[in-house]
Amino acid sequence: MTLRTMLLRRLVISVPLLIGILFFTFMLVRLGGQDPVGLLAGPTATAEEIDIVRAELGLDKPLFTQFWIYLGNIVQGDIGKSWISNRSVLLDILERIPITLELLFWGVALGSVIGVPVGLRAAFRHDKWFDQISRGISLLGFSIPTYFLGLVLLFVFFFLLGWSPPGMGRVSLLISPPPTITGSYLIDGLLAGDWSVARSALAQLILPVIAVAIISAAPIVKHTRAIALEVMSSDFVRFARASGLPPKKVSRIVLRNSSTPVATFIGTEITGLIGSVSLIEYVFAWGGAGQYGLNAIIRGDFSAVQGYVLFLAIFSLVVFILVDLLVLVLEPRAAAE
Amino acid sequence: MTLLRVKDLHTHFISRNLDNEIRIATALNGVSFELSRGEVLGLVGETGAGKSLTAYSIMNLLKPPARVVGGTVEFDGRNLRDLQSDDMNSLRGSEIAMVVQNPRSSLDPLTRIGEQLVRVHTAHSDATAATARARAVEILGSVGIPAPEERMQAWPHELSGGMAQRVLIAMALMNEPKLIIADEPTTGLDVTVQAQILDLLRELVETRNVAVMIITHDLGIVAHYCQRMAVMFAGRIVETGNVNSVFDNPAHPYTRTLIDATPERLRDLKHKVHGGGAPPNLYNLPTGCHYVERCRFADDVCNDPVAMEEVGAAHFAMCSHISAVRDGWLS
Ligand SMILES: Nc1ncnc2c1ncn2[C@@H]1O[C@H](COP(=O)(O)OP(=O)(O)OP(=O)(O)O)[C@@H](O)[C@H]1O
Ligand code: SF4
Ligand SMILES: [Mg+2]
Repeated sequence: MTLRTMLLRRLVISVPLLIGILFFTFMLVRLGGQDPVGLLAGPTATAEEIDIVRAELGLDKPLFTQFWIYLGNIVQGDIGKSWISNRSVLLDILERIPITLELLFWGVALGSVIGVPVGLRAAFRHDKWFDQISRGISLLGFSIPTYFLGLVLLFVFFFLLGWSPPGMGRVSLLISPPPTITGSYLIDGLLAGDWSVARSALAQLILPVIAVAIISAAPIVKHTRAIALEVMSSDFVRFARASGLPPKKVSRIVLRNSSTPVATFIGTEITGLIGSVSLIEYVFAWGGAGQYGLNAIIRGDFSAVQGYVLFLAIFSLVVFILVDLLVLVLEPRAAAE
Repeated sequence: MTLLRVKDLHTHFISRNLDNEIRIATALNGVSFELSRGEVLGLVGETGAGKSLTAYSIMNLLKPPARVVGGTVEFDGRNLRDLQSDDMNSLRGSEIAMVVQNPRSSLDPLTRIGEQLVRVHTAHSDATAATARARAVEILGSVGIPAPEERMQAWPHELSGGMAQRVLIAMALMNEPKLIIADEPTTGLDVTVQAQILDLLRELVETRNVAVMIITHDLGIVAHYCQRMAVMFAGRIVETGNVNSVFDNPAHPYTRTLIDATPERLRDLKHKVHGGGAPPNLYNLPTGCHYVERCRFADDVCNDPVAMEEVGAAHFAMCSHISAVRDGWLS
C-alpha cells in the first residue's frame, strides 16, 4: 500500500463519517432542551425581543435548513461564533489546541514510558509476582473516575503536602505569561529564556500530567502485556527458540514484533483519552480546548460545541493517519500490501 | 550407531480447574524409540496422539502447563534432560534442527530471509557475518531455491509455502545438524512440491549421514521415504518396526485399521490418517491398553497393563492379543 492510496482511503472513509458526526451533534445540541436565546436575551426580555434574537442567530429556520447553512459555512472556513465569548469559535479553539495537546502529549508520553515497560516485564514474568502486582495496580487505574483522580491529586499534593501549586491554570497567577510561540508556556518560557515562567509552568504541569499518565497507563499496561504474550506464543518465537538463538535475541524478536501493535494501540488510545483530558482540564482550570468544549456543553453554546466536536473528529483523523504512517515505516508487510 | 535414544518419556499437562483441583492430562505415557545416523524414522498417528509433543519434549521446548515428568532422552551420548539450559540452547538449531509445520508463520516477519539464516549460524559458531552470508547463499541454492542471492533480501511474506519450507530446511542445514526433526514438513503443500522437499530430505540422509525423524499423518510418506516407522496412539508408541515389516504384517489392531483404511491410496501421497472413533480422554485414560474403547478384539485382559512384545525381526507391538488379532483380522 502506498502512502497516497492510504491517505485517500482514510479521507474517503472520513468525510461521510465527519458529516454524520456533525449532523448528530447538531441535532443533539438543538434538541437538548437548552434554549440559548432565552439565556442570551436575558430574563427581562419581551417575547418580541426574543424573536429578534432568534432571527439574528438564524434559529427561526427549520432544522435541516440550519444544518445545510452550517455545512456551507464550514466549507468556507466559518464554524460559527461562540455566544458566550462572542468570538469566532475557530479562533477560540485554535488558540486552545496547543494547550490541550501539551497536557495530552506529556501525559501519554509519561503513561507510555511507565506503561510499556511494565506491560512488557509483566509479560516476560508471566504469572510471577510482578505480573500479578502490575495487573492489580492497573486494574485500580481503570476503576478510578477521572474527575476524582484529579481532585485526589490536588488534595494530597497541594492541600495536604503543599508540594504542588494550586490547580489554577498553566502558570502562577503572579507571573505574566511568555510571548506566544508554540502555545506551550513551558516551551515558550524556555525559548524566551525566562526561567521563572518555565519553572512555574512546569510546576503547574506536573499534577495534571500525572493524572493523564495514570489514566493512560492502565490500558497501556494491559494491552502491552497481552500483545507481548501473544507474540511470545507465536510460531516464529517458538521457532526462534527451536533454532537455539540466545535468549537475548529471542527477546529482541519479541520486542520488535510487539512494537507496531503497541504503537497502534497507544495511537488509538490517544483519541479516546480526549474526554478524560477534558475533565482533568476542568479540575485544574487548564483552559484548553477540552475545558472549552466541556464549558460549551454545560452552557448550551451550540456553535462552540459543534466546533469542539469537529476538532475531536479532525484530531482523531490526524492521529489515525500518523499511526498508519508509523505502521508503514515499521512493517515491511504493510508496505507491501 | 544409535544417535537418539528416547526411553519411557512421560509428559503431562498439569493445571488446576476452577475448584482449584489439580488436573493432569497424561499426554505422553512412556514413549520409547531409537534413531541412528543415516536413518529415517516415520512417526505416524492421528491428531492429538502426541507426535509434536514428543518432538518438543525432546527439544526441551515445552510451554507450561506441559512438563516432562519422567523418562530419559539420550542424544549423542548426553542425557538431554540433565543439560543446563545454555547447553541445551546451543544444541538446538545446531546439532538438532527442527523443520516445523506452518513455515510461513514460523519465520520472523520483520527480518529478511538472509538475516535469519545468518543469525542461526552466527549464534552457534564464530563465523563472521560475511562467511555466514556466503554459506547461506550456497545452502539456499542447494535446497533448490532459484536466484538465492536475491532471495536473501526477501521478506517472509513474499515467499510461497513451498519456498518458506525450503528456507526452513536451509536454516536447519546452516549448522550441519546430526538430527533433523521434521514435524509435518509437507502439510498444505501441493504434491509436486511435497515430493521435492522429501527427496531433498532423503538426499541429506544419504549424503550427509544425518538422522531424520518425520512426523506425519500420511502413511504414503512413511511408505516412500522412511526405513522405520512408529505408530503412536494416545501418548504411546503402539507398534514399531521396519516399514516393510509393519506394512506387510501389522500386529496392532490400530495399525491394521490405519493401513486397511488406505491400501489403494498409499501411492498418491495424499491420504490422511484417520483411525476412526473418538480420541481417548487424556485426563482419564484406560488402565490397560489405551485403544480398548475402539478395539473389536477387546476383552477383560486388555484392562491389565500391556507391554511391548516382539512380533517379528526388530518389529514390536503393544497388544495382549497379538496372535488372535493376526488370525482373526479377516474373519
Ligand atoms: N494445555 C493443554 N492441556 C491439556 N492437554 C493439552 C494441552 N495442549 C495440548 N494438549 C493435548 O496434547 C496432546 C498432544 O498434542 P500434539 O500436538 O502432540 O498432537 P499431534 O500428534 O502432534 O497432533 P497433530 O497431528 O494434530 O499435530 C493433544 O491430545 C492435545 O489435546
Ligand atoms: S490390548 Fe486389547 S484392546 Fe488393546 S489393541 Fe490389543 S486387543 Fe485391542
Ligand atoms: Mg502436531
